[in-house]
Amino acid sequence: MRKIRLLTIPVLCIAGLASAGSQGTVHSITLPSIRTELKAGEGKGITETLCAACHSLDYITMQPRFSTAQWTATVNKMIQVMGAPINENDARKIIGYLAAQYGTQNEGRR
Amino acid sequence: MLCGRCTRRAFLKTAGAVAAMTALGDIPATLFADERRLVKFPEKTDLILLTSRPPQLETPVHYFTEFITPNDALFVRWHIANIPTSVDLREWKLKVGGNTERELHLSMEDIKKFEKVTYTAVIQCAGNGRSFFEPRVAGGQWKNGAMGNVVWAGARLKDILNAAGIKAGSVDVSFDGLDEGPLPPVPDFVKSLPIDKAMEDDIMVAYEMNGSYMPLLNGFPARLIVPGWYGTYWVKSLTEIAVLPNAFDGFWVKSAYRVPDTPCGCTPPGSPQERTIPVTRMTTRSLIVEPADKAQLPRNKPAEIRGIAFSGGYSIREVIISVDGGKTWKEAELGKDAGRYAWIQWKYSWRPYKPQQYTLMAKATNSIGESQPFEGLWNPSGYLWNKVEKIEVVVI
Repeated sequence: MRKIRLLTIPVLCIAGLASAGSQGTVHSITLPSIRTELKAGEGKGITETLCAACHSLDYITMQPRFSTAQWTATVNKMIQVMGAPINENDARKIIGYLAAQYGTQNEGRR
Repeated sequence: MLCGRCTRRAFLKTAGAVAAMTALGDIPATLFADERRLVKFPEKTDLILLTSRPPQLETPVHYFTEFITPNDALFVRWHIANIPTSVDLREWKLKVGGNTERELHLSMEDIKKFEKVTYTAVIQCAGNGRSFFEPRVAGGQWKNGAMGNVVWAGARLKDILNAAGIKAGSVDVSFDGLDEGPLPPVPDFVKSLPIDKAMEDDIMVAYEMNGSYMPLLNGFPARLIVPGWYGTYWVKSLTEIAVLPNAFDGFWVKSAYRVPDTPCGCTPPGSPQERTIPVTRMTTRSLIVEPADKAQLPRNKPAEIRGIAFSGGYSIREVIISVDGGKTWKEAELGKDAGRYAWIQWKYSWRPYKPQQYTLMAKATNSIGESQPFEGLWNPSGYLWNKVEKIEVVVI
Protein backbone atom coordinates (compact mmCIF):
# COMPACT_ATOMS: atom_id res chain seq x y z
CA MET A 1 0.00 0.00 0.00
CA ARG A 2 2.67 2.43 1.06
CA LYS A 3 4.63 1.88 -2.12
CA ILE A 4 1.66 2.74 -4.27
CA ARG A 5 1.05 5.93 -2.36
CA LEU A 6 4.61 7.06 -2.76
CA LEU A 7 4.23 6.61 -6.48
CA THR A 8 1.27 8.97 -6.75
CA ILE A 9 3.31 12.09 -6.03
CA PRO A 10 5.78 11.74 -8.94
CA VAL A 11 2.92 10.90 -11.30
CA LEU A 12 1.11 14.06 -10.26
CA CYS A 13 4.22 16.11 -10.85
CA ILE A 14 4.83 14.73 -14.30
CA ALA A 15 1.25 15.51 -15.19
CA GLY A 16 1.71 18.99 -13.81
CA LEU A 17 4.87 19.48 -15.82
CA ALA A 18 3.08 18.80 -19.04
CA SER A 19 0.40 21.45 -18.73
CA ALA A 20 1.63 24.03 -16.27
CA GLY A 21 4.99 25.39 -15.29
CA SER A 22 5.70 22.82 -12.64
CA GLN A 23 9.09 21.79 -11.37
CA GLY A 24 9.39 18.84 -9.06
CA THR A 25 6.64 19.20 -6.49
CA VAL A 26 5.93 22.80 -7.40
CA HIS A 27 2.82 23.50 -9.43
CA SER A 28 2.84 26.99 -10.92
CA ILE A 29 0.85 29.01 -13.43
CA THR A 30 1.31 32.45 -14.95
CA LEU A 31 -1.84 34.45 -15.27
CA PRO A 32 -2.38 36.30 -18.55
CA SER A 33 -2.52 40.04 -18.50
CA ILE A 34 -5.85 41.16 -19.88
CA ARG A 35 -6.64 44.80 -20.43
CA THR A 36 -10.06 46.36 -20.34
CA GLU A 37 -10.41 49.85 -21.75
CA LEU A 38 -12.98 52.05 -20.04
CA LYS A 39 -14.92 54.68 -21.96
CA ALA A 40 -13.51 58.16 -22.12
CA GLY A 41 -15.13 60.64 -19.77
CA GLU A 42 -14.60 62.85 -16.78
CA GLY A 43 -13.36 60.76 -13.85
CA LYS A 44 -12.00 57.92 -15.97
CA GLY A 45 -8.48 58.22 -14.56
CA ILE A 46 -9.44 58.11 -10.91
CA THR A 47 -11.92 55.32 -11.54
CA GLU A 48 -9.23 53.23 -13.22
CA THR A 49 -6.67 53.86 -10.51
CA LEU A 50 -8.84 53.28 -7.47
CA CYS A 51 -11.03 50.45 -8.74
CA ALA A 52 -8.18 48.54 -10.37
CA ALA A 53 -6.28 48.52 -7.08
CA CYS A 54 -8.49 45.59 -6.08
CA HIS A 55 -10.06 44.18 -9.24
CA SER A 56 -9.90 44.27 -13.03
CA LEU A 57 -11.97 46.89 -14.80
CA ASP A 58 -14.08 44.28 -16.57
CA TYR A 59 -15.95 44.17 -13.24
CA ILE A 60 -17.36 47.52 -14.40
CA THR A 61 -17.91 46.81 -18.08
CA MET A 62 -19.58 43.46 -17.34
CA GLN A 63 -22.41 45.00 -15.32
CA PRO A 64 -25.79 45.87 -16.77
CA ARG A 65 -26.65 49.57 -17.07
CA PHE A 66 -27.30 50.91 -13.59
CA SER A 67 -29.09 53.99 -12.32
CA THR A 68 -27.09 56.55 -10.35
CA ALA A 69 -28.62 55.10 -7.19
CA GLN A 70 -27.40 51.62 -8.12
CA TRP A 71 -23.87 52.79 -8.93
CA THR A 72 -23.84 54.73 -5.66
CA ALA A 73 -24.83 51.58 -3.78
CA THR A 74 -22.16 49.57 -5.59
CA VAL A 75 -19.35 52.04 -4.88
CA ASN A 76 -20.49 52.38 -1.25
CA LYS A 77 -20.43 48.60 -0.91
CA MET A 78 -16.84 48.55 -2.15
CA ILE A 79 -15.89 51.12 0.48
CA GLN A 80 -17.96 50.04 3.47
CA VAL A 81 -18.07 46.28 2.98
CA MET A 82 -15.01 45.40 0.90
CA GLY A 83 -12.77 47.93 2.59
CA ALA A 84 -11.73 50.03 -0.41
CA PRO A 85 -9.77 53.08 0.88
CA ILE A 86 -11.61 55.69 -1.20
CA ASN A 87 -12.47 59.07 0.27
CA GLU A 88 -15.83 60.79 -0.14
CA ASN A 89 -14.64 63.19 -2.79
CA ASP A 90 -13.12 60.47 -4.95
CA ALA A 91 -16.17 58.28 -4.46
CA ARG A 92 -18.34 61.10 -5.79
CA LYS A 93 -16.15 61.41 -8.89
CA ILE A 94 -16.22 57.66 -9.49
CA ILE A 95 -20.00 57.48 -9.11
CA GLY A 96 -20.35 60.42 -11.47
CA TYR A 97 -18.17 58.75 -14.08
CA LEU A 98 -19.90 55.35 -13.81
CA ALA A 99 -23.38 56.85 -13.94
CA ALA A 100 -22.46 58.95 -16.96
CA GLN A 101 -20.64 56.25 -18.95
CA TYR A 102 -22.23 53.02 -17.74
CA GLY A 103 -25.57 54.29 -16.52
CA THR A 104 -29.16 53.93 -17.58
CA GLN A 105 -29.19 57.56 -18.71
CA ASN A 106 -27.02 56.53 -21.65
CA GLU A 107 -29.04 53.51 -22.67
CA GLY A 108 -28.61 52.78 -26.34
CA ARG A 109 -25.30 54.65 -26.63
CA ARG A 110 -22.93 51.74 -26.50
CA MET B 1 -26.76 21.63 -39.94
CA LEU B 2 -27.48 23.51 -36.75
CA CYS B 3 -26.39 27.05 -36.34
CA GLY B 4 -24.45 26.08 -33.25
CA ARG B 5 -23.01 29.42 -32.28
CA CYS B 6 -25.19 31.93 -34.01
CA THR B 7 -23.75 35.36 -34.29
CA ARG B 8 -26.13 38.25 -34.26
CA ARG B 9 -25.55 38.79 -37.95
CA ALA B 10 -26.24 35.16 -38.81
CA PHE B 11 -29.38 35.30 -36.74
CA LEU B 12 -30.58 38.49 -38.35
CA LYS B 13 -29.99 36.89 -41.73
CA THR B 14 -32.17 34.02 -40.60
CA ALA B 15 -34.75 36.43 -39.33
CA GLY B 16 -34.70 38.22 -42.64
CA ALA B 17 -35.35 34.98 -44.44
CA VAL B 18 -38.48 34.28 -42.52
CA ALA B 19 -41.30 36.67 -43.16
CA ALA B 20 -43.05 35.83 -39.93
CA MET B 21 -40.09 37.09 -38.00
CA THR B 22 -39.94 40.68 -39.13
CA ALA B 23 -41.48 41.63 -35.81
CA LEU B 24 -38.20 40.64 -34.18
CA GLY B 25 -36.40 43.59 -35.77
CA ASP B 26 -36.41 45.55 -32.55
CA ILE B 27 -34.83 42.97 -30.29
CA PRO B 28 -32.83 44.84 -27.65
CA ALA B 29 -29.08 44.75 -28.15
CA THR B 30 -28.61 43.27 -24.67
CA LEU B 31 -30.03 40.01 -25.96
CA PHE B 32 -26.89 39.63 -28.00
CA ALA B 33 -24.42 40.06 -25.21
CA ASP B 34 -23.28 36.68 -26.53
CA GLU B 35 -20.55 38.59 -28.25
CA ARG B 36 -18.38 37.87 -25.28
CA ARG B 37 -14.65 37.53 -25.31
CA LEU B 38 -12.93 34.15 -25.17
CA VAL B 39 -9.72 33.99 -23.19
CA LYS B 40 -7.10 31.36 -22.50
CA PHE B 41 -5.93 30.93 -18.92
CA PRO B 42 -3.30 28.38 -17.82
CA GLU B 43 -4.49 24.76 -17.67
CA LYS B 44 -7.79 25.91 -19.18
CA THR B 45 -9.19 25.92 -22.69
CA ASP B 46 -10.75 29.04 -24.26
CA LEU B 47 -13.43 30.20 -21.83
CA ILE B 48 -15.75 33.18 -21.78
CA LEU B 49 -14.24 36.12 -19.92
CA LEU B 50 -16.36 37.71 -17.24
CA THR B 51 -13.50 39.18 -15.25
CA SER B 52 -9.75 38.66 -15.24
CA ARG B 53 -8.65 39.71 -11.73
CA PRO B 54 -9.75 37.74 -9.90
CA PRO B 55 -10.68 35.41 -12.75
CA GLN B 56 -14.29 34.57 -13.48
CA LEU B 57 -14.47 32.42 -16.59
CA GLU B 58 -17.56 30.78 -18.03
CA THR B 59 -17.83 27.46 -19.85
CA PRO B 60 -19.23 27.73 -23.39
CA VAL B 61 -22.48 25.77 -23.38
CA HIS B 62 -21.48 23.39 -26.18
CA TYR B 63 -19.30 21.54 -23.65
CA PHE B 64 -22.51 20.42 -21.99
CA THR B 65 -23.14 18.00 -24.84
CA GLU B 66 -20.61 15.88 -22.93
CA PHE B 67 -21.72 13.99 -19.82
CA ILE B 68 -18.53 14.91 -17.97
CA THR B 69 -17.18 18.44 -18.15
CA PRO B 70 -13.44 18.29 -18.97
CA ASN B 71 -11.03 19.80 -16.44
CA ASP B 72 -9.84 22.43 -18.86
CA ALA B 73 -13.41 23.52 -19.67
CA LEU B 74 -14.83 23.81 -16.15
CA PHE B 75 -15.78 27.36 -15.15
CA VAL B 76 -13.57 29.42 -12.85
CA ARG B 77 -14.75 31.71 -10.09
CA TRP B 78 -12.54 33.42 -7.53
CA HIS B 79 -13.69 36.16 -5.16
CA ILE B 80 -10.65 38.18 -4.15
CA ALA B 81 -7.70 39.25 -6.23
CA ASN B 82 -4.70 37.48 -4.72
CA ILE B 83 -5.23 33.95 -5.93
CA PRO B 84 -2.65 31.19 -5.64
CA THR B 85 -0.45 30.81 -8.70
CA SER B 86 2.10 28.41 -7.22
CA VAL B 87 1.79 25.55 -4.76
CA ASP B 88 4.75 23.54 -3.50
CA LEU B 89 3.50 20.17 -2.27
CA ARG B 90 6.55 19.80 -0.03
CA GLU B 91 5.34 22.83 1.90
CA TRP B 92 1.58 22.83 1.47
CA LYS B 93 -0.30 21.54 4.49
CA LEU B 94 -3.95 21.37 5.42
CA LYS B 95 -4.33 22.56 9.00
CA VAL B 96 -7.25 21.06 10.90
CA GLY B 97 -7.89 22.47 14.33
CA GLY B 98 -9.94 24.77 16.48
CA ASN B 99 -12.34 23.04 18.86
CA THR B 100 -10.64 19.67 18.36
CA GLU B 101 -8.72 17.18 20.50
CA ARG B 102 -5.58 17.72 18.42
CA GLU B 103 -4.35 19.93 15.63
CA LEU B 104 -3.44 18.24 12.35
CA HIS B 105 -1.11 19.49 9.66
CA LEU B 106 -1.81 17.14 6.80
CA SER B 107 0.40 16.84 3.74
CA MET B 108 -1.10 15.65 0.48
CA GLU B 109 0.42 12.26 1.23
CA ASP B 110 -1.35 12.22 4.62
CA ILE B 111 -4.69 13.11 3.01
CA LYS B 112 -4.28 10.28 0.53
CA LYS B 113 -3.98 7.82 3.42
CA PHE B 114 -7.64 8.32 4.27
CA GLU B 115 -10.07 6.03 2.46
CA LYS B 116 -10.55 7.35 -1.06
CA VAL B 117 -14.10 8.08 -2.16
CA THR B 118 -15.24 8.92 -5.68
CA TYR B 119 -18.51 10.27 -7.03
CA THR B 120 -19.88 12.41 -9.81
CA ALA B 121 -21.38 15.73 -8.76
CA VAL B 122 -22.53 18.93 -10.40
CA ILE B 123 -20.68 22.02 -9.30
CA GLN B 124 -22.67 25.18 -9.94
CA CYS B 125 -22.12 28.78 -8.93
CA ALA B 126 -25.03 30.23 -6.92
CA GLY B 127 -25.10 33.11 -9.41
CA ASN B 128 -25.32 30.93 -12.53
CA GLY B 129 -27.93 32.53 -14.78
CA ARG B 130 -27.75 35.91 -13.01
CA SER B 131 -27.71 37.78 -16.32
CA PHE B 132 -31.24 36.51 -17.02
CA PHE B 133 -32.70 38.29 -13.98
CA GLU B 134 -35.22 41.00 -14.76
CA PRO B 135 -34.77 43.62 -13.44
CA ARG B 136 -31.04 43.04 -13.82
CA VAL B 137 -28.89 42.74 -10.71
CA ALA B 138 -25.25 43.48 -9.92
CA GLY B 139 -22.69 40.69 -9.80
CA GLY B 140 -21.02 38.23 -12.14
CA GLN B 141 -23.15 38.29 -15.29
CA TRP B 142 -23.20 34.55 -15.88
CA LYS B 143 -25.37 32.91 -18.46
CA ASN B 144 -25.63 29.12 -18.11
CA GLY B 145 -21.95 28.24 -18.09
CA ALA B 146 -21.11 28.49 -14.38
CA MET B 147 -21.67 24.78 -13.89
CA GLY B 148 -20.20 21.43 -14.77
CA ASN B 149 -20.51 17.70 -14.07
CA VAL B 150 -17.32 16.30 -12.65
CA VAL B 151 -16.02 13.05 -11.11
CA TRP B 152 -14.47 14.06 -7.79
CA ALA B 153 -12.20 11.89 -5.68
CA GLY B 154 -10.66 12.49 -2.29
CA ALA B 155 -11.01 11.90 1.42
CA ARG B 156 -14.22 12.23 3.42
CA LEU B 157 -14.26 15.43 5.43
CA LYS B 158 -15.83 13.41 8.24
CA ASP B 159 -12.81 11.09 8.41
CA ILE B 160 -10.44 14.04 8.59
CA LEU B 161 -12.52 15.75 11.29
CA ASN B 162 -12.72 12.53 13.29
CA ALA B 163 -8.94 12.17 13.07
CA ALA B 164 -8.69 15.59 14.70
CA GLY B 165 -11.39 14.66 17.22
CA ILE B 166 -14.31 17.07 17.43
CA LYS B 167 -14.92 18.41 20.92
CA ALA B 168 -18.40 18.64 22.40
CA GLY B 169 -20.23 21.91 21.82
CA SER B 170 -18.95 22.44 18.28
CA VAL B 171 -21.30 24.49 16.12
CA ASP B 172 -19.73 25.31 12.74
CA VAL B 173 -16.71 24.29 10.70
CA SER B 174 -14.95 26.97 8.65
CA PHE B 175 -12.87 26.53 5.51
CA ASP B 176 -10.12 28.84 4.27
CA GLY B 177 -8.08 28.63 1.09
CA LEU B 178 -4.86 30.13 -0.23
CA ASP B 179 -6.54 33.18 -1.76
CA GLU B 180 -6.24 36.54 -0.03
CA GLY B 181 -7.61 40.03 -0.43
CA PRO B 182 -5.51 42.59 -2.32
CA LEU B 183 -5.60 44.93 0.69
CA PRO B 184 -5.81 44.08 4.40
CA PRO B 185 -9.41 45.31 4.90
CA VAL B 186 -10.81 43.09 2.11
CA PRO B 187 -12.63 40.22 3.83
CA ASP B 188 -10.77 36.95 3.33
CA PHE B 189 -12.79 34.30 1.52
CA VAL B 190 -13.74 31.89 4.30
CA LYS B 191 -16.89 29.76 4.27
CA SER B 192 -18.51 27.57 6.88
CA LEU B 193 -20.85 24.62 7.25
CA PRO B 194 -22.94 23.70 10.29
CA ILE B 195 -21.19 20.83 12.11
CA ASP B 196 -23.96 18.33 11.28
CA LYS B 197 -23.65 19.14 7.59
CA ALA B 198 -19.85 18.91 7.72
CA MET B 199 -20.13 15.40 9.21
CA GLU B 200 -22.34 14.06 6.41
CA ASP B 201 -20.82 11.11 4.54
CA ASP B 202 -20.66 12.80 1.14
CA ILE B 203 -18.70 15.94 1.98
CA MET B 204 -15.22 15.50 0.56
CA VAL B 205 -11.79 17.05 0.53
CA ALA B 206 -11.11 16.33 -3.12
CA TYR B 207 -7.68 16.09 -4.68
CA GLU B 208 -8.76 14.63 -7.99
CA MET B 209 -10.99 15.92 -10.73
CA ASN B 210 -11.95 13.49 -13.47
CA GLY B 211 -9.11 11.15 -12.49
CA SER B 212 -6.41 13.81 -12.58
CA TYR B 213 -5.09 16.53 -10.30
CA MET B 214 -7.17 19.70 -10.49
CA PRO B 215 -6.10 22.83 -12.35
CA LEU B 216 -4.81 25.54 -10.01
CA LEU B 217 -7.67 27.77 -11.10
CA ASN B 218 -10.11 25.09 -9.93
CA GLY B 219 -8.50 24.64 -6.53
CA PHE B 220 -5.26 22.65 -6.71
CA PRO B 221 -4.15 20.85 -4.61
CA ALA B 222 -7.40 20.15 -2.75
CA ARG B 223 -10.84 21.66 -2.52
CA LEU B 224 -13.98 21.07 -0.54
CA ILE B 225 -16.86 19.27 -2.28
CA VAL B 226 -20.35 19.83 -0.86
CA PRO B 227 -22.47 17.89 -3.35
CA GLY B 228 -25.98 19.21 -3.84
CA TRP B 229 -25.05 22.64 -2.46
CA TYR B 230 -23.92 25.63 -4.49
CA GLY B 231 -20.25 26.06 -5.36
CA THR B 232 -19.73 28.90 -2.90
CA TYR B 233 -19.05 26.26 -0.21
CA TRP B 234 -16.60 24.32 -2.36
CA VAL B 235 -13.57 26.24 -1.05
CA LYS B 236 -10.59 25.97 -3.38
CA SER B 237 -6.90 25.44 -2.55
CA LEU B 238 -7.79 24.57 1.04
CA THR B 239 -5.33 25.49 3.78
CA GLU B 240 -7.31 25.48 6.98
CA ILE B 241 -10.32 23.74 8.45
CA ALA B 242 -11.40 25.12 11.82
CA VAL B 243 -13.99 23.56 14.10
CA LEU B 244 -15.79 26.36 15.93
CA PRO B 245 -17.60 26.37 19.29
CA ASN B 246 -19.72 29.24 17.99
CA ALA B 247 -21.57 30.27 14.84
CA PHE B 248 -19.15 31.47 12.14
CA ASP B 249 -19.67 35.17 11.48
CA GLY B 250 -17.32 35.91 8.57
CA PHE B 251 -18.45 38.23 5.80
CA TRP B 252 -18.88 35.55 3.11
CA VAL B 253 -21.47 33.71 5.22
CA LYS B 254 -22.99 36.43 7.40
CA SER B 255 -23.40 39.06 4.68
CA ALA B 256 -22.77 37.53 1.26
CA TYR B 257 -24.38 34.60 -0.55
CA ARG B 258 -27.73 35.11 1.13
CA VAL B 259 -31.26 34.84 -0.17
CA PRO B 260 -34.62 35.97 1.22
CA ASP B 261 -35.91 33.72 3.99
CA THR B 262 -39.02 32.80 2.02
CA PRO B 263 -40.03 29.35 0.71
CA CYS B 264 -38.86 30.24 -2.83
CA GLY B 265 -35.77 32.21 -1.77
CA CYS B 266 -37.28 35.04 -3.76
CA THR B 267 -38.98 38.41 -3.44
CA PRO B 268 -41.27 40.20 -5.91
CA PRO B 269 -39.00 41.37 -8.76
CA GLY B 270 -37.25 44.61 -7.84
CA SER B 271 -38.09 44.53 -4.15
CA PRO B 272 -35.53 44.26 -1.35
CA GLN B 273 -34.89 41.26 0.86
CA GLU B 274 -35.44 41.63 4.59
CA ARG B 275 -34.82 38.47 6.61
CA THR B 276 -32.19 36.41 4.81
CA ILE B 277 -30.61 32.97 5.05
CA PRO B 278 -27.48 31.56 3.37
CA VAL B 279 -27.89 29.95 -0.06
CA THR B 280 -27.40 26.22 0.41
CA ARG B 281 -29.01 23.49 -1.71
CA MET B 282 -29.31 23.93 -5.45
CA THR B 283 -32.68 24.37 -7.06
CA THR B 284 -33.85 21.90 -9.71
CA ARG B 285 -33.02 22.96 -13.23
CA SER B 286 -32.63 21.90 -16.83
CA LEU B 287 -30.82 23.25 -19.85
CA ILE B 288 -31.48 22.75 -23.54
CA VAL B 289 -28.02 22.24 -25.03
CA GLU B 290 -29.04 21.42 -28.60
CA PRO B 291 -30.33 23.01 -30.69
CA ALA B 292 -28.87 26.36 -29.73
CA ASP B 293 -31.20 29.28 -29.14
CA LYS B 294 -32.04 30.96 -32.48
CA ALA B 295 -30.75 27.98 -34.42
CA GLN B 296 -32.27 27.16 -37.77
CA LEU B 297 -33.35 23.62 -38.55
CA PRO B 298 -34.24 22.06 -41.88
CA ARG B 299 -37.89 21.13 -42.10
CA ASN B 300 -39.11 17.58 -42.34
CA LYS B 301 -35.86 16.18 -40.99
CA PRO B 302 -35.41 14.44 -37.65
CA ALA B 303 -34.16 16.87 -35.04
CA GLU B 304 -33.06 15.86 -31.60
CA ILE B 305 -33.56 18.16 -28.66
CA ARG B 306 -30.89 17.36 -26.08
CA GLY B 307 -29.99 18.70 -22.73
CA ILE B 308 -29.19 18.12 -19.09
CA ALA B 309 -31.03 18.35 -15.79
CA PHE B 310 -30.07 18.14 -12.12
CA SER B 311 -31.14 19.18 -8.66
CA GLY B 312 -29.67 19.73 -5.23
CA GLY B 313 -29.01 16.14 -4.23
CA TYR B 314 -32.09 14.33 -5.54
CA SER B 315 -32.23 12.35 -8.76
CA ILE B 316 -34.18 13.73 -11.69
CA ARG B 317 -37.45 11.86 -12.04
CA GLU B 318 -38.72 13.43 -15.22
CA VAL B 319 -37.96 15.99 -17.90
CA ILE B 320 -40.84 17.17 -20.04
CA ILE B 321 -40.48 18.93 -23.38
CA SER B 322 -42.74 21.25 -25.29
CA VAL B 323 -42.20 22.27 -28.91
CA ASP B 324 -45.23 24.58 -28.99
CA GLY B 325 -44.42 27.14 -26.33
CA GLY B 326 -45.86 25.13 -23.46
CA LYS B 327 -49.29 24.15 -24.86
CA THR B 328 -48.46 20.45 -24.93
CA TRP B 329 -45.75 18.46 -23.20
CA LYS B 330 -44.05 15.10 -23.78
CA GLU B 331 -41.57 13.19 -21.70
CA ALA B 332 -37.93 13.22 -22.72
CA GLU B 333 -35.84 10.05 -22.66
CA LEU B 334 -33.44 10.12 -19.72
CA GLY B 335 -29.82 8.98 -20.02
CA LYS B 336 -27.75 7.07 -17.48
CA ASP B 337 -28.13 7.90 -13.81
CA ALA B 338 -24.73 8.48 -12.21
CA GLY B 339 -26.17 9.16 -8.79
CA ARG B 340 -28.18 11.84 -7.10
CA TYR B 341 -25.49 14.54 -7.33
CA ALA B 342 -24.74 14.14 -11.05
CA TRP B 343 -26.63 15.67 -13.88
CA ILE B 344 -28.63 13.49 -16.19
CA GLN B 345 -28.65 13.85 -19.94
CA TRP B 346 -31.97 13.76 -21.74
CA LYS B 347 -33.13 13.79 -25.35
CA TYR B 348 -36.32 14.18 -27.28
CA SER B 349 -36.70 13.24 -30.93
CA TRP B 350 -38.77 15.52 -33.07
CA ARG B 351 -39.51 16.15 -36.74
CA PRO B 352 -40.72 19.68 -37.45
CA TYR B 353 -42.85 19.96 -40.58
CA LYS B 354 -43.92 23.56 -40.86
CA PRO B 355 -41.41 26.29 -41.73
CA GLN B 356 -41.98 28.65 -38.84
CA GLN B 357 -40.61 29.70 -35.50
CA TYR B 358 -40.93 27.14 -32.70
CA THR B 359 -40.66 27.74 -28.98
CA LEU B 360 -38.95 24.79 -27.30
CA MET B 361 -39.24 24.33 -23.56
CA ALA B 362 -37.84 21.88 -21.00
CA LYS B 363 -38.91 21.36 -17.40
CA ALA B 364 -37.30 18.96 -14.94
CA THR B 365 -38.72 17.48 -11.73
CA ASN B 366 -36.69 15.66 -9.09
CA SER B 367 -37.57 12.63 -6.97
CA ILE B 368 -39.11 14.76 -4.20
CA GLY B 369 -41.25 16.77 -6.61
CA GLU B 370 -39.12 19.91 -6.82
CA SER B 371 -39.39 21.49 -10.25
CA GLN B 372 -38.84 24.71 -12.16
CA PRO B 373 -40.98 27.87 -12.22
CA PHE B 374 -42.42 29.26 -15.47
CA GLU B 375 -41.55 32.76 -14.33
CA GLY B 376 -37.99 33.26 -13.17
CA LEU B 377 -37.80 33.68 -9.43
CA TRP B 378 -36.09 36.91 -8.41
CA ASN B 379 -33.91 38.01 -5.51
CA PRO B 380 -31.61 41.04 -5.16
CA SER B 381 -28.34 39.09 -5.47
CA GLY B 382 -29.28 36.98 -8.46
CA TYR B 383 -29.14 33.48 -6.99
CA LEU B 384 -31.04 30.19 -7.52
CA TRP B 385 -31.88 30.80 -11.20
CA ASN B 386 -33.91 27.85 -12.50
CA LYS B 387 -36.63 29.18 -14.76
CA VAL B 388 -38.16 26.64 -17.16
CA GLU B 389 -35.91 26.54 -20.21
CA LYS B 390 -37.28 28.30 -23.25
CA ILE B 391 -35.58 28.81 -26.60
CA GLU B 392 -36.67 29.76 -30.09
CA VAL B 393 -35.68 27.94 -33.24
CA VAL B 394 -36.57 28.61 -36.83
CA VAL B 395 -37.49 25.79 -39.18
CA ILE B 396 -36.86 26.62 -42.82
